[in-house]
Amino acid sequence: MSERPPRGHGAEVEVRAITKRFGPVAAVDDVSLVVRGGEFFSLLGPSGCGKTTTLRVIGGFERTDAGEVFIDGRPMGQTPPNRRPTNIVFQRLALFPHYTVYDNVAFGLRMKRLPDAEIRRRTRDALDLVQLPGLEDRRITQLSGGQQQRVALARALVNEPRVLLLDEPLSALDLKLRLQMQEELKRLQHRLGTTFIYVTHDQGEALAMSDRLGVMNAGRLLQVGAPMEIYERPTNRFVANFIGDANLIDGVADGVERGRVAVRVGGGVVGARARGDERAGAPVTVCVRPERVRLLAAGGTPGALRARIEDRAFSGYVVKYRLAGEGLRLHAAVPYAAGTPLFGVGDEVTADWDPDQAVSVGRE
Amino acid sequence: MKLRGAAIVGLMAPALALMAVLYVVPLGVYFVNSFHEFRDGRILPAWTLQTYVKYFTDPFSYRVIGTSLRLSLMVTALAVLIGYPVAYALHTRVHRPAARAAIALLLFSPLLVSVVVRTYGWLILLASGGLVNTTLRGLGLIQEPISLLFNMRGVVISLTHILLPFAIFPIYSVMGRLDLSLKEAARDLGAGWRETFLHVTLPLTMPGIVAGALICFTLALSAFVTPQLLGGGRVQVLPLAVYNSTVEINWPGGAVAGLTLLVISIAAVWALNGLLRRLPTV
Repeated sequence: MSERPPRGHGAEVEVRAITKRFGPVAAVDDVSLVVRGGEFFSLLGPSGCGKTTTLRVIGGFERTDAGEVFIDGRPMGQTPPNRRPTNIVFQRLALFPHYTVYDNVAFGLRMKRLPDAEIRRRTRDALDLVQLPGLEDRRITQLSGGQQQRVALARALVNEPRVLLLDEPLSALDLKLRLQMQEELKRLQHRLGTTFIYVTHDQGEALAMSDRLGVMNAGRLLQVGAPMEIYERPTNRFVANFIGDANLIDGVADGVERGRVAVRVGGGVVGARARGDERAGAPVTVCVRPERVRLLAAGGTPGALRARIEDRAFSGYVVKYRLAGEGLRLHAAVPYAAGTPLFGVGDEVTADWDPDQAVSVGRE
Repeated sequence: MKLRGAAIVGLMAPALALMAVLYVVPLGVYFVNSFHEFRDGRILPAWTLQTYVKYFTDPFSYRVIGTSLRLSLMVTALAVLIGYPVAYALHTRVHRPAARAAIALLLFSPLLVSVVVRTYGWLILLASGGLVNTTLRGLGLIQEPISLLFNMRGVVISLTHILLPFAIFPIYSVMGRLDLSLKEAARDLGAGWRETFLHVTLPLTMPGIVAGALICFTLALSAFVTPQLLGGGRVQVLPLAVYNSTVEINWPGGAVAGLTLLVISIAAVWALNGLLRRLPTV
């Protein structure tokens, strides 16, 4: 018992330049990443982006073609899963169908040949932790999806891993249960201090739960940062599009000055924070969130974007507009309060935004 | 599309007719004959239980039943023990469909050869001067040739050979349905290769083992040609007893022995099916 690491001590995980090929396809392509100890970190991306493979590499289920994984600074090499300080919750849960709930949860402790009394105590504790007391003797097939989810979680957490790997564990649940489990996972992680690495394709899930997240596409890690940072400052088109709603506006850089880039779009000029690689006269894409777009009646400031309202949808606290202008399509979401003047379909308006609220995302 | 009763009967009619003519009717004839008596070279018309009494009071009958059970159990055990690793290797190591098909064909190839030809092949291999004995002697494992013919050994070897695919394929098919992440989960929870096998793979492939054992057992129990040719009259099993009675026109005697065989088969099927139902499904 004494060699168990204390609670609240999640391990740091470093992934250094790993590449994993399946045949000619690089499922993971030169990915490097540091997950801090005790952090809730999400790997986010569409299916087939390499996030699950990255997780499986960390857990020791896949050999890499290049690169190395370090857990608390120790290189993992070819260490098999059973000798890593990690545990995993699989997407398909992989609960043992021939065992009861208790036997499933106790499995890891039995493999460690711990004394019976300790196995009993820790298994009970784990079931309490996931709020499943009293179901010890049930068969797995007699449980609901949500309960199976909790058993899978308890079966991993009972081993008090330094790092818990979660491979889209909530994807089989319905929305309501999923939201509830999200909260619970977050609370658990906070309480245990275990490093959580959470794989998901659901950006809402990743934004809501993570301390930081990494966005992947086509085997590459595109951006790592805190949820708000990634939402506010996506560094490329894919991330901008994948996280939240985004207007991606193609234009030509007019000039760069003090971290700002002026971009010519159709007849107007808009501003955005520069990424740093913009050059005057070169094409550039600006990302601006719909809720940051300001609409004014036509005839406003010279140089602003002119557009026409194509569609309007009221959804309670915001009014969503779809606009079209010269070489331009735009979405705007305007907060609604009683008395707010509304534009109608067909109205000519000008659109602009605070340049600090938009960001250049390059052109690739 | 839902088939109406008449259509279903129509589609099944040829099979049902075959079963009726070739199976149910002869079984009925058997059943009827078992209640007659064979004496002085002819079947007496009177109804009697005498044949049953005679059969079940004769120690020889029990020897035959015992030999039959022993043979079937040995063959079943060997086929499963040899077949399981083959299925496991096929499942875990062979992934290309073409390679799988080739190995399946290889495993089933003994069935493509006539039972008589195959048995004569074993006669040659198992003889005192045959390939098996000369090889073993060449390796220095034995000094004197061991007798593998006209006794239980030869019959067991040959039957195991022929029944092996019937053990392998049910096991292999259950393995194919096994969720691989179960094994990964066991590994993740600290189980080594051996523990993963004992706690996960083996219990979850038990339905395949039971199904394979059931097929092997019933086929071994009813095997006739192999015990006949390789047993050399010294391996007296139930099908041989039935055959011998029948050629002596002792239909009642053959019928009672045959029904005994049937009852043992049904009992085995019933017992193993009960076991199968209690096993977890993958």
